[in-house]
Amino acid sequence: MPALAHHAFSAEYDAEKPVKLTGAVTKVEWENPHAWFYIDVKDSAGKVENWGFEMGSPNLLTRAGWGRNTLKVGEVVSVEASRAKSGANIANAKVVTLVSTGQKLFTGSSQGQATR
Amino acid sequence: MRSIVYCTALILVLGSNASAQWARTPDNTLPRTPDGKPNLAAKTPQARDGKPDLSGVWQSDINPTALPPGVQTVESITGFGAPRYFVDVTADFKPNEVPFQPAAGAQFAQRMQNQGKDDPAAHCQPTGVPAITNLPIPFKIVQTPGVVIVLYEDSSVFRQIFLDARKPVEDAQPRWMGYSTGKWEGDTLVVDSVGFTEKSWLDRLGHTHSNAMHVTERFRRRDLGHLEIEVTIEDPKTYTRPIKYTQKATLLPEEDLLEYFCTENEKDIEHYR
Repeated sequence: MPALAHHAFSAEYDAEKPVKLTGAVTKVEWENPHAWFYIDVKDSAGKVENWGFEMGSPNLLTRAGWGRNTLKVGEVVSVEASRAKSGANIANAKVVTLVSTGQKLFTGSSQGQATR
Repeated sequence: MRSIVYCTALILVLGSNASAQWARTPDNTLPRTPDGKPNLAAKTPQARDGKPDLSGVWQSDINPTALPPGVQTVESITGFGAPRYFVDVTADFKPNEVPFQPAAGAQFAQRMQNQGKDDPAAHCQPTGVPAITNLPIPFKIVQTPGVVIVLYEDSSVFRQIFLDARKPVEDAQPRWMGYSTGKWEGDTLVVDSVGFTEKSWLDRLGHTHSNAMHVTERFRRRDLGHLEIEVTIEDPKTYTRPIKYTQKATLLPEEDLLEYFCTENEKDIEHYR
C-alpha cells in the first residue's frame, strides 16, 4: 500500500546521491505525515554523527504490518537511502536491514505491496 | 535531464515474519470463497431502498503510469507503483495533445519546473475533488438515501454528496471538495460537483483548473469488491475539451480508516530547494 504522497521528493532529496549508513537507532518518530528514525553513525575517525531517515506514512507502514515498536532504540541497522539536497544529515530511506539478522525491514519492491 | 520525483511510498517487507499484521475487524456478513477469503467477485450489495450500496472502505488501484519524458516518480526508484491518474490526470492523452488553454499550459510548465514544491499537498493543504479519490490512500463511502458521505483518510477530510434534489448554491464560497449533488441513473450514481477553489491541483504533476470547473463522477459498483469511477472534468477556461478518465478502486474488506493529520510531524517543507 502506498504512503502519503505528501511532499515534493525531488525538491528535497537527490535520487542520484545514494547513501548507505550503519548505526544504532537513537529515536523513532511514528507520526504522520512520515515516520522518521535516527541513527548514530561513526565515521572512520571515530566521530559520531546523528542521521535522520524519512519513511512512508505510519498509516502505510501499519497496514503493511509494521508497528511503532518494530524498530527499537539501540538496534543496529544498515540503511540505503537518497540523501537530502541540502547536505544535511537526512535522507529518504529505501531499504532498512537489521544487522543482527540480515532481515530487510523496508524495500520498495513490489513484493511489499499489501494491496488486496 | 531534469527529474521530478514525488515521494509517494516506502514499502515494507517483513520477510517470512508477518505476524505483526494490522488488526482487522472480522465481518461475518461478507460472502467468502471456499478458502475463507472475502469474495470480491460476489454480487453488488443492495441498500434498503433497492439501490446499489456503495458503502465500504476503498483504495484506488495501483497501476502503471506513463510519465512525461524526464519525469521520475519515487516509484521508479523504489519499484513501487501508484494510481495512474493520481500522478497524471491526462495520462490517457498522447504527449502534446493535452488540450491546454495557453495560460494553463504555461502554468503547468511552471509547476513542473518547480519540481512540485508548490503542490498544496506538499504544504499540508488538502487534496481536492476529484484528485483526492485517485490518491493511493483509502476512502470510506457511507451511503444513505439522502446523502452519501465520503470520508477520506488523506487529511482526515469529508465530503457530502446530496441526493435530495437540491440545487447547487449560487456563488458558493470556493471549496477544496466543491459542492456535490447526485442522482441515480440505473445502477450508477452520477455526481455533479462545482464551486471549487483554484488552489487545488488535479494531480501530482500539477495540472491546473479554474474555479469554473465542473466535475462529473459516475460511480458504479461492479460487484462486491470493485468500484469504477468515470470522471469528466469540464473547464473551458483551462482545457479546450473535457479531461476524461476512469479510476478503478478495490474494496478493502474488514479495514478501517486511520487518523491522518499532515501537520503532526511535518519536516519536509523546510528542506525544499
